[in-house]
Amino acid sequence: MTQVTTLAPPPASSGAPHGAPSRIRVRGIVKEYGVTRALRGVDLDVAAGEIHGLVGHNGAGKSTLMRILTGIEQPTSGTVEFDGDGAATAATSARPGDVRMAYQELSLAPDLTVAENASLSDARRLRPLRWRAQAERRIAEVLDTVFPGHGIELSRYVGELSMAERQVVEISRALCSDEPRLLILDEPTESLGVDAMRQMYAHLHVLAARGVSILLISHRMNEVLEHSDRISVLKDGATVLTADAGDVTEDDLLVAMGGDVRGDSPRVHDVPVVGDAVAGSGERPAAGETVATASLAGASLPFEAKAGEIVGLAGLAGQGQDELLDRLWFNGLSRRITVPRRRAYVPGDRQTSGVFALWTVADNLAVAAARQLARAGFVSLKARRTLADRWVGTLSIKGGASAPITSLSGGNQQKVLIARAFATDAPLVLLNDPFRGVDVATKDELYTLMKAEAAQGRCIVWYSTENKEVAHCDRVYVFRAGRIVSELVGDEISEERVIAESFDEHQDARDARDATTKDAGAAA
Amino acid sequence: MTTLTAPRASGRSSVPTFRSRATIGAKHSAPGALSLVAMIVIFVIAVANQPGILSVYGLTLMLTAAVPLLLAAQAQMLIMSVGDIDLGIGQLVGLVTVIAATMLTTDPLLGVLALLAIVGAYALLGLLVQKRNVPSIIATLGMSFVWLGLGLQLLPTPGGQTPEWLAQLSAWRPDWIPAPVVWIVAITLVAWFLAKRTRFGTRMRALGSSSPTLSRAGWSLSRTRVLTYAAAAVLAVLAGLVLASQTQSGDVNSAGNYTLMTIAAVILGGGNFKGGQSFPVGTAFGVVTLSLITVLLGLINLSSSLQSAAQGLIVLAVLAGRVITERFVR
Repeated sequence: MTQVTTLAPPPASSGAPHGAPSRIRVRGIVKEYGVTRALRGVDLDVAAGEIHGLVGHNGAGKSTLMRILTGIEQPTSGTVEFDGDGAATAATSARPGDVRMAYQELSLAPDLTVAENASLSDARRLRPLRWRAQAERRIAEVLDTVFPGHGIELSRYVGELSMAERQVVEISRALCSDEPRLLILDEPTESLGVDAMRQMYAHLHVLAARGVSILLISHRMNEVLEHSDRISVLKDGATVLTADAGDVTEDDLLVAMGGDVRGDSPRVHDVPVVGDAVAGSGERPAAGETVATASLAGASLPFEAKAGEIVGLAGLAGQGQDELLDRLWFNGLSRRITVPRRRAYVPGDRQTSGVFALWTVADNLAVAAARQLARAGFVSLKARRTLADRWVGTLSIKGGASAPITSLSGGNQQKVLIARAFATDAPLVLLNDPFRGVDVATKDELYTLMKAEAAQGRCIVWYSTENKEVAHCDRVYVFRAGRIVSELVGDEISEERVIAESFDEHQDARDARDATTKDAGAAA
Repeated sequence: MTTLTAPRASGRSSVPTFRSRATIGAKHSAPGALSLVAMIVIFVIAVANQPGILSVYGLTLMLTAAVPLLLAAQAQMLIMSVGDIDLGIGQLVGLVTVIAATMLTTDPLLGVLALLAIVGAYALLGLLVQKRNVPSIIATLGMSFVWLGLGLQLLPTPGGQTPEWLAQLSAWRPDWIPAPVVWIVAITLVAWFLAKRTRFGTRMRALGSSSPTLSRAGWSLSRTRVLTYAAAAVLAVLAGLVLASQTQSGDVNSAGNYTLMTIAAVILGGGNFKGGQSFPVGTAFGVVTLSLITVLLGLINLSSSLQSAAQGLIVLAVLAGRVITERFVR
């Protein structure tokens, strides 16, 4: 770490760079929910026209801080000041429209069209008649400016858009209003394609040059380092570091966020053996045995997954990986897919299709394993308890087995979902980008868990939008336009290779030629 | 990436074309299309059985009962679009006919106040559902007994006398067009405009689809729900008045089957229980289909004790068809 970094709490003088006045000045924000202290005293300064990166593990208090900055919640104590217009009490002085935010979990109503969604949060007045046309023009303007060539129909319902498209819409929605004083982006690039990501950052710099302050929250350290002017690190509800982006490295940030996050955490090597926990649940295929196959339409490579391997589905977001997983999970009557009778699925979107919000951690964890835990139709409470305790211990799920699931932080909820899948005896486990927004330490634990599970003969099919994660796979299928265009094995697997395959236009032409020659050959 | 703020070279804007708008709209309302098909099929069968239907008089006779049901169904559609359900609407419509046949005749001012009080009560009901998290199914079911009790108190046995001006309403029968068709089109247009074309309609669907979205965008959830309930109550009151004008009397039990009929009509028209969507036109198809089924079963001389069973089976068949078509569309 370099000398220039200031350690927490930053002295009041460490305001904005170059002596510019602070656009937003957060002092000593404390937020308590009952007995838990989500924020223990956050100080933050963002200057006008500054892109300020904010990083921290899950549970560090980022979401709570954002709820306070946007005015959804009031702090227990502390102040938020805009342009020094003074709020002496525990309140924000933000006026409506001052703060715009693009949410990580997206704030779009699926049953409304793109334009309707945008008009909901647009503070500008609409004319009373033909307001829809006006609303459409406004969001079209933003989309066309920020994401030229986005190809999103404005009259489409958001529920029909792909995750990547929704993310584009969410960011555009946040920008579709009067120019805000502060723009907050929470994990804006989690599901964006590479093009859209570049377009977005380019626009952020344009906005910053116009004087908009931007708070950029991301787990992708390289992006934060590249695009921020300054970076603050939040840990356990307090700012522990604020530094110029040029003066810190990725390692500095990771260390500030909470110790050494590199390498496997040793705890996880002791993975519970499922067959041992619930005896007689055989049906585990031998390693190397083919567990699932699928043939996709068009000039696609066939998909095959064997016992004991981690198969990655890579490529740009929304290129057909979801569809394959969905079909492996629930196939209907098609014969193009063979899957084992028992499968487990970990959804990426825990809000909508993951947790049973009213249940405890143990209930949530054991629900899929009920079949193995049951004797003659009755679930053995003792066996269930043992199973839950074991997984809670293995993955160090904070809060314990009997805590209500919703009291857990997002990362811990995700751990429960993953434990739920691995607690079953299903030979095939499907992961649909489950690590979105999960912190680095948790990810490392889960990677290790996956490897240990695969070593025991489990087959894991894993769709990830983070190209770096392919390093943990035994085999990787790269998707492009709904087809598998490439299969990478062993040493071939690398982030660069995946990116290259995801974009290789020549490859498409070659494939097409191959296909035609093959057809011609068959005809002859 | 450097051409970011430059005007788009192609000049093509993202504002949707009429064609893409129509395609998306058609796809969206596909589930209700089956109800249109069922409506046409049943109509053709009915005409084949009794060609007399195909006259202004025949159509008027056949569709008269659909008008109050349509008003109630559009009320149900509004409530269902915010993700709620109204199990008290049948009794409410019955109570309105009672008020129309008693207070509205004897003391018009008191009658109007009573009808306004119903709208106010519905607004409060919406507030209760929103603020106290009471499931609407419970709140409205409870209220249905209140409506029933009030109706029985006012008029223990069917009867009473509706005011003269109300009778005039259903006396309007032009020669050149069946009056119910005019009413049906007009009511549907109003509901369509409210649900699909006003900004309030957008908020209503947003509330049913994803309430956090609405509150983050700075809108009051309570206000939206209260206004939705009030609008539904206005439609239900109108349904009661039209029904009273047709029967010329009050009976709190006269619309008991409306509760389930309206829900069936919304579902037939493409709606669902999870909220967020509104299908005013589909609901109209649903209502007309249900009315036609009743007429058709009468025409083919099915014993009246079997009629509701047959009606139920037809509704089930249409819904099963809808599930299948939805699978093809997706």
